[in-house]
Amino acid sequence: MPLPLTAEDRLHLKTLQPQIAASPKGRGQLIPLLQMAQKALGYLPDEALSLVADHLAVTRSEVYGVASFYNQFRFNPPGKNPVKVCMGTACHVRGGEIILENFERKLEIREGETTEDREFSIERVACVGCCALAPVALVGETLHGHMAPSKVEGLVLRVRLEKEKAEREAAHS
Amino acid sequence: MARIQAAYRILADEARTRREQFDQSSLPKIHIGMATCGIASGALETKAAFETALADRGIDAHVHTVGCVGHCYAEPVVVIDYPDSGFPPILYPEVTPGKAKMLVKLFLEEGDPRFEHIMGATVENEMIPSVMEFARFSREKRVVMDRCGRIDPEQIHEYIADGGYGALAKALCGTPEAVIAEIEAAGLRGRGGAGFPTARKWRTARAAKGSDKWVVCNADEGDPGAYMDRTLLESNPHQVIEGMIIAAMAVGASRGLFYVRAEYPLAVRILTAAVEQAREMGFLGADILGSGLDFDIDLFQGSGAFVCGEETALIRSVEGYRGMPRHRPPYPVERGLDGRPTVINNVKTLATVPPIVDKGADWFRGIGTADSPGTAVFSVVGNVTHPGLVEIPMGVTLRELIFDICGGIPNKKKFKAVQIGGPSGGCLSAEFLDTPVDFDALTRVGAMMGSGGMVVMDEDCCMVDVSRFFLDFTQKESCGKCTFCRIGTRHLLDILRRLTRGEGREGDLEQLETLSRAVKQGSLCGLGKTAPNPVLTSLAYFRDEYEAHIKEGRCPGRTCRTLTAFYIDLDKCARGCDACVGCCPVEAVFTTSNRKKGIDQQLCVKCGECMVACPPDYDAVVKISPAALAPVIERPAEKKTEN
Amino acid sequence: MITLTADNRTIQAREGSSVLSACLSAGIYIPHLCWLEADAPADAPAACRLCLVEIEGFREPVAACVVTVENGMTVHTGTETVRRLQKTALKLLLSVHRVDCKHCPANKACALQNIAKFLGTGLGCKPFERVLKEPDVDSRHPVLDYYPNRCVLCGICVRVCRQRHQRPLLSFARRGFETVVGCFDADPVAAADCMSCRACLESCPTGALVQRTVVKG
Repeated sequence: MPLPLTAEDRLHLKTLQPQIAASPKGRGQLIPLLQMAQKALGYLPDEALSLVADHLAVTRSEVYGVASFYNQFRFNPPGKNPVKVCMGTACHVRGGEIILENFERKLEIREGETTEDREFSIERVACVGCCALAPVALVGETLHGHMAPSKVEGLVLRVRLEKEKAEREAAHS
Repeated sequence: MARIQAAYRILADEARTRREQFDQSSLPKIHIGMATCGIASGALETKAAFETALADRGIDAHVHTVGCVGHCYAEPVVVIDYPDSGFPPILYPEVTPGKAKMLVKLFLEEGDPRFEHIMGATVENEMIPSVMEFARFSREKRVVMDRCGRIDPEQIHEYIADGGYGALAKALCGTPEAVIAEIEAAGLRGRGGAGFPTARKWRTARAAKGSDKWVVCNADEGDPGAYMDRTLLESNPHQVIEGMIIAAMAVGASRGLFYVRAEYPLAVRILTAAVEQAREMGFLGADILGSGLDFDIDLFQGSGAFVCGEETALIRSVEGYRGMPRHRPPYPVERGLDGRPTVINNVKTLATVPPIVDKGADWFRGIGTADSPGTAVFSVVGNVTHPGLVEIPMGVTLRELIFDICGGIPNKKKFKAVQIGGPSGGCLSAEFLDTPVDFDALTRVGAMMGSGGMVVMDEDCCMVDVSRFFLDFTQKESCGKCTFCRIGTRHLLDILRRLTRGEGREGDLEQLETLSRAVKQGSLCGLGKTAPNPVLTSLAYFRDEYEAHIKEGRCPGRTCRTLTAFYIDLDKCARGCDACVGCCPVEAVFTTSNRKKGIDQQLCVKCGECMVACPPDYDAVVKISPAALAPVIERPAEKKTEN
Repeated sequence: MITLTADNRTIQAREGSSVLSACLSAGIYIPHLCWLEADAPADAPAACRLCLVEIEGFREPVAACVVTVENGMTVHTGTETVRRLQKTALKLLLSVHRVDCKHCPANKACALQNIAKFLGTGLGCKPFERVLKEPDVDSRHPVLDYYPNRCVLCGICVRVCRQRHQRPLLSFARRGFETVVGCFDADPVAAADCMSCRACLESCPTGALVQRTVVKG
């Protein structure tokens, strides 16, 4: 089942609506519009598909058909710290799959899923182009080269600790 | 004619003046490589460290961001040109923020270039050995990547000052037919994989009926392990844009499109800015350089589907549909985007055009081999000492490329195989090391130039697993339209998965071969037609490995995890050390009663961490296949390991 | 008219027509699943890969639906290579097919059964293992049930829906092995349209689309 929209999602949808309405029409706009929607929300909930479908006067079925063809588009929200494990050839040869498994084990989710607290999600990505640093993983925007299974726990812990620290500070101020 | 040259000369003079001011300034210049690979290795932090250190010490210097030089193993790469120091420009590898601070203090302030950190001088001189003494530098021949790492990709005047857009001005002074004839005489073949003659494509498009023709630059580089197109767009976008304008002039196109992967945000950003700058300078838009040519370029971000590298699928996706290929003919040069004649060229092909127009077909023919003139850009990665991007003349042998230029196999391991051309390519064994790198020689031995991805594998790699890896990729990336590719690749993958799990059966190899051939013959597009190549080549050259998996349950590369086990050699294990216990992510390593260590085979996930962690003095962790050969050490029941 | 040779017979065909249509008109059967009679060679999907033939002068077997007839062309529809590939394609399709003909509305009128009979193979898929999709039925369409394990993804339903309706409800979704046909927009207004149209139901060669007996409330 798709996760329900958060208040934040609704806000993003609201800002997205006029952006889409102001965009040019025409079938060739379908993918750029989907990219715009995903940029705003981080994923494509049904409501976003509808916005695009209505703007281009096509069915949502048609829009979903196109969106579900491409790797870029996702239909469940990513975590605040998306973990992207590189599955390029060089990373594979140097054990990328083991890194992926370790993230899955530590976060107790599978690739393509998001943790319930929406903190983390895991996905495999094709080559990020840092083959000399293989195996490579991205946590959020930060790239971690020469990954090792034993580094996984530390990375996850660091993010969780930083979050706790931020919450504590927020509570104090 | 004169008008075009005059218009260009004004722009060129202005750009050159600006560049000369910069070059002749006596201030120290710090050039930092800032393409994605550099940034991933910390170039942003390095740049910030230089800036802070310069400010702290009150030193005036230019911090100059450039693209990627291709030496990924040495990133972040920094060149410091400090004329007043008396030293030539010096290239430093692996410049961490700490090293940056140190260099500001010791070199820029005190004049000591710190020889121990130097890779070499970038020019020949009497004081410091030049980088040209390394094969990695001297054996390269740069045509496409010539300016990468030398100029700031976000400053069009740096490209122009280096002669950029001169080829365009020259081409515009002649006829389209003359341009095509020059490209034909040069023998340029498409750098996207198959090596189709570029001039023939252009000529067909020129002859095709219809207005509003398109030129599309295919930068949908999806091969896992190849990133030269991205690097080129990030390091020198204008050379590609210039090639595209020349192509447009040659075929009579009025509209251009860059099809770039959305996964390449930096390339998208740099390219967008570059197109904008080219427009401002009058290289794009109406009446380019007063020649009467109208041409402009848009950008389309590809949404991540490997199959969209195929021309007809690429077109469908730009039109807003599922990127499913269709049968050719009709070819896009006749019926392409929006039904208009469309030339689709790879990034490297287009980047090769300006140098050919500039220096002539004979110059180009002087590089490479008779049937494959010019250079090839490879991303050489995997188990190799100096991974990175390498541009070499066609015809260099694999041995020279891997062992001389890229430094061979690290860690005293033996070479096992090289995979060339990514998911469409093949795995070659040591006996093919003397194969020259060119379109036809590689195809003859079952590999293919493909996108230029080259993965070097040492003795610890399993060829069955590598085939599984590539099939896993193509199977996931199959568009699903045609029967052979959609279902055939799935069955191929299922068999390979079974083999890597040690569940191989009699007849599996024959079935792999038969089905592979059927998928090759029966598939609709290039993806399906080439998807079985990694399987077929590895079956041909490494059949014994496949057989070992089936008959002995043994993985010769000790990679397939169900067939492999780790154990601790008790004769070598030192009691006092707990390195392996601490690093195990699943607490499979335990301490025995005499304080030596053992591995719980039930819990072990075979990540190999303990093997890395075990100090080289002991070297007690052993990897073995078949798994049953690992001696069983009982876990002591009374005590858990962690307290 | 164009004159060509097919299986040692001289046949005539309309200019611009495909080899497949020419052969079929001349009574030479070539198995096919995804082709519609109106398809010109440049527009045929060439997805099912069953109509492969060998044509002299072509290096490889080619789908007959995408080749335009030419004077003097020599076509072989039943060579060993062609039959081998056709049998493999059929077996691949059957390997993802729930063979349960007794409970299938297409029984006895099924394209797969007919092609299997023509090629002289059974409905087994050996040596391939059968891989089926979950769930067996997709009921998201307002009035139709879709059976992914009967579908051969010929795409005819999607195409006829597109031809008949400005805003077609049917579409392909997902990619590769996971590709399905479906409707992802349960718009009840459209349902009425579907009841009167039925074009997709009637054109499905394998009974993958079935009218639901109880319409969703």
